[in-house]
Amino acid sequence: MDVKKAVSGYRRNLTIVVGALLAVFLVLPLIVKTPYIINIFILVFYISTMSMAWNILGGMTGQNSLGLAAYMGIGAYTVCLIVTKLNWNPWVVSILAMLVTGLIAGVIFFPCFILKGPYFTLVSIAFAESMRQFIINSEFFGRASGVGLPFGEDSFLQFRFASKVPYYYAGLIMMVAVYAIMKRIDNTKIGFALKTIREDEDAAAAIGINPTKYKVIAVVISAVIAGFVGFFYASYIRYVDPDLMVQAKSTEFVLPAVVGGAAYVEGPLVGGLIMIPLSEFLRANFARVLPGINMIMYAVVLLVVIRFRPSGILGWYMDSNFKKFIDEKILKKPSLDVLEEYQMMNYESRKGGK
Amino acid sequence: MDVLLQAIVNGILLGGFYALMGMGQNIIFGVMKIVNFCHGEMLMVGMYLTYMLYTYAGIDPYLALPLVAIIMFLLGAVIQHTLITPSLKTKSFTNLLFLTVGLGLLLSNGALVLFGSDYKSIRTSYSQTNIMLGPVSVALPKLISFLVLIVVTIALFTFLKYSTTGKQIRAVSQNPVGAEVCGINVRRIYLLTYGLGVALAGIAGCLLTQFYSIYPTAGASFGFRALIVVVVGGLGSIPGAFFAGILLGLLEQMSALFISPSYSDMIVFITFIVILVVRQLLIMRRK
Repeated sequence: MDVKKAVSGYRRNLTIVVGALLAVFLVLPLIVKTPYIINIFILVFYISTMSMAWNILGGMTGQNSLGLAAYMGIGAYTVCLIVTKLNWNPWVVSILAMLVTGLIAGVIFFPCFILKGPYFTLVSIAFAESMRQFIINSEFFGRASGVGLPFGEDSFLQFRFASKVPYYYAGLIMMVAVYAIMKRIDNTKIGFALKTIREDEDAAAAIGINPTKYKVIAVVISAVIAGFVGFFYASYIRYVDPDLMVQAKSTEFVLPAVVGGAAYVEGPLVGGLIMIPLSEFLRANFARVLPGINMIMYAVVLLVVIRFRPSGILGWYMDSNFKKFIDEKILKKPSLDVLEEYQMMNYESRKGGK
Repeated sequence: MDVLLQAIVNGILLGGFYALMGMGQNIIFGVMKIVNFCHGEMLMVGMYLTYMLYTYAGIDPYLALPLVAIIMFLLGAVIQHTLITPSLKTKSFTNLLFLTVGLGLLLSNGALVLFGSDYKSIRTSYSQTNIMLGPVSVALPKLISFLVLIVVTIALFTFLKYSTTGKQIRAVSQNPVGAEVCGINVRRIYLLTYGLGVALAGIAGCLLTQFYSIYPTAGASFGFRALIVVVVGGLGSIPGAFFAGILLGLLEQMSALFISPSYSDMIVFITFIVILVVRQLLIMRRK
């Protein structure tokens, strides 16, 4: 009984902290009215989501893709083209966009799964770049000038608003939902298989994990998420051009995950929340005098983190006394054997019930 | 026919730069098994160095070549010593990858802050001179650059093949642990390798300045093509890199001539993907 009490107390505390964090984000647009600040948070939401999409492939599976922006671009293009040409509902098209990106990632990219390590990275760059070149050269895709979405009055069905606040909430929901999915994957068979592949692909194959199958799953999940972010981006900016798919963008999407801690599901969120506002602040205040200063900051933070804290900000936090303090004093986290005992009890009661 | 000949000559001359970039990348990738994603930015740094030496000190780009090579070598050695060697211990490919990506960001945006985004160029008295080789006209700087490239290739090949240090470099690339057991200072070899690779990129940058605009992202396309050269030419092979570079230049010029110039990038990338996949399939078949 004592065990149950301790664990439920810990769970309650954890819920309160997470709930408080969420509440802050929910209330924020009611307090802060500046579109500029809201815009920064929307950036945080969708870049962090992209970063999580990368993380399932890069952080969890160890396949360092550097071409994720291309999938986001494909998603955005699908939405813009079908909505303008066939006049379909954007929400319906968003599902189609996810299907298209998933198919492109899973089918066309399929032969590339036999490549390992650096070769996978290279092929992901080459793939993204050739798709961008294809779009630039295609009349159907509007060549280098891109495709726009129609403007008009606010409507939820069209996912079209003049104010930034609805996009803020949509972005927040998107980020939280993707986080929940990632957290779920992390604790299921797929997640464990992916992490095994990251540690040693040959060993994973030896114990009966099919590396190709799981790599396809990881790539498709990451591409589908990127496709959906593409839909969000297209609806928010209401315009897409091939510049969205340049390699620098792909890199930009990866940085929050690496800085935050690529081994953790929460890494991209932490990295995104720290890096993007900082970068936007520098861009707004210094870009006129020193263009590129925000990217220099990005680069310096990246180099410092990799050099001194190779497991990222979150990895550093996990080993720090600060976490110990929070765990013990605020969350009242029970010790590991208590948690294990609780899991055992759960398991036995489930078995007994059957 | 003349057009075709001209395209072939242009392709070979352009391919020379890819070869030079590829050789640097090849040494780094071969020895440390890390992809140097800031290789293109190193070329850009070499270009700006040459530009500064030319405008502020009045040194002719070709005379500046050894100086640029030495400065770039030192830059590479410092980066290797302060950043890459310590990170090699973590054995995390992701971290090493983003270390070089971060360096590339730092260098290209640093150039943006220091020099601005406008295009710069170097015009010497002979940069507009053309030489007729039969029906084909070749710009004199391009020809000189290609001759320099051949000298560098031969020098590098002899260095790696016959000198003691070169043998040590090859030993480390085959098996770092075994090399260390044999008494080779692996850290020193890493330092040397990265310095050498960066210096080669710097040389390519220096040679490019006379007929290519200098701007902060000038190196990007060369950087990626260097990787293609490494994969196609084979790890650790200097002649392989040389011929792969020239082949790549030819492919680019031919596809521009026969298909469309705007598709030449795409054709290069798709060819690269196909080569990578086929190569891996062949390796798997052999196993």
